[in-house]
Amino acid sequence: MRRFLLLLLVVLLGWGWYERENLWAFPDIISAYTAKEYCSCRYVMKNDAGYCRGYVKQWLPTSGFTDDASSKTITVSGLGRSHSAQWLSERQGCRLNP
Amino acid sequence: MFKGLSLFLLLISLTVRAEQWPGEQWPIAPQITGPAVEALESYAFAPRNDATREGIRTDALLIVHDGQIIYERYAAPTTAQTPHLTWSISKSLLATVLGVAYGEGRFKLDDPALKFYPALDKHPAITLGHLLNWASGLDWQEDYEYAPLKSSVVAMLYTRGHRDMAAFTAAHDSYAAAGQAFRYSSGDSNLLAAALKTMVGPERYADYPWTALFEPLGIRHAVWESDASGTFVASSYAYLTARDLARVGLLMARGGRWNDRQLLPEDWVAFNLKPFAVYKAQQDEAVPGGHWWLNRPVDGAPSPWPDAPPDTFAALGHWGQALYVMPSEKLVIVRYGDDRDGSYKHNELLKRVLQAVRP
Repeated sequence: MRRFLLLLLVVLLGWGWYERENLWAFPDIISAYTAKEYCSCRYVMKNDAGYCRGYVKQWLPTSGFTDDASSKTITVSGLGRSHSAQWLSERQGCRLNP
Repeated sequence: MFKGLSLFLLLISLTVRAEQWPGEQWPIAPQITGPAVEALESYAFAPRNDATREGIRTDALLIVHDGQIIYERYAAPTTAQTPHLTWSISKSLLATVLGVAYGEGRFKLDDPALKFYPALDKHPAITLGHLLNWASGLDWQEDYEYAPLKSSVVAMLYTRGHRDMAAFTAAHDSYAAAGQAFRYSSGDSNLLAAALKTMVGPERYADYPWTALFEPLGIRHAVWESDASGTFVASSYAYLTARDLARVGLLMARGGRWNDRQLLPEDWVAFNLKPFAVYKAQQDEAVPGGHWWLNRPVDGAPSPWPDAPPDTFAALGHWGQALYVMPSEKLVIVRYGDDRDGSYKHNELLKRVLQAVRP
């Protein structure tokens, strides 16, 4: 049994190393997705705030949602990461900040 | 003599009447009604639950017949004025923009993509035609929600790739020789968007979709988002009203001609609508042409949407976005949606539209 658990640990660590780039980036998805798609829902498609909150809802939780209406900047936190997206212009719409 | 003249005038007026085009506004014909229209609506506009987000959730349905609107309906909050996210319809829009550049002699289909996008130096065999057929051979994973860890698309749009999506794509290894295998890839579309920057020059690039395509078609409210390097997100992020997207459909339905101007060369449209030779039946939901989806039978398999005529083609996007064109029926159909499950079926909608428009 211990040998099996050890083997499992080795396999998991190997997989983790192999997928390290994807695993490191994974927690960014939810806050980046929510910030960008909310920004476009609200300021490009010009839907109301309540609809847009529902529109971007995913199975992963977010926290610390702010929408600064004067600069049209949305900042969202989730899984320990934070991202913001900003509306740029009528033609360019929104962009995720670098 | 008088009789001959009046016949001549009648013929003239018939030819003038025969072709309707949108000007600043779309011509509106008498709207279709009856039980078949109700059957269409019961499918497309079923009661909507924004808490569960289950089922078919149509935001907009617009039917244009012979250049005139014959049906139009929206579901809140979408209206006729909403520039709706088109997701991957953007890819076919980019192909249409590229068609104008092609007509200006800025590139050939067998030009290496490297010629216009030097970051592809690891992949010199990829041509612009290969990218348009989604056949770069780059090892790309297109899943959105179901494999977020491995998804190239999610990484491109939201994490490792979002600053420069074309560069992110070009850094992928290949899994097949260029042009030898079909694999749908948002990365291929964004490589084309980056190549366009060199074709038209960086000064003209930011306005090029407007000057080349949107303005000639009378499209006034298009939005096209770009990444931090200024490259259009051709894979995903163009926004148009349903009425404006239908203008692109009418352009394609009429062979690339807008009024009396051949905006897209005929051989370009022919390439768009030619099934990609190495595609195998069932590899995707429809048959890929040159950045458009075709309803053509392949390898003896039935056409993807059997209730629609075989000349039907479409631009398709995530969550149920669709622009369908049926030249033989003189129909252009825009369907925007917010489908979060797989219950919406192209063939079912097209079948019901055809029943609703046929007298």
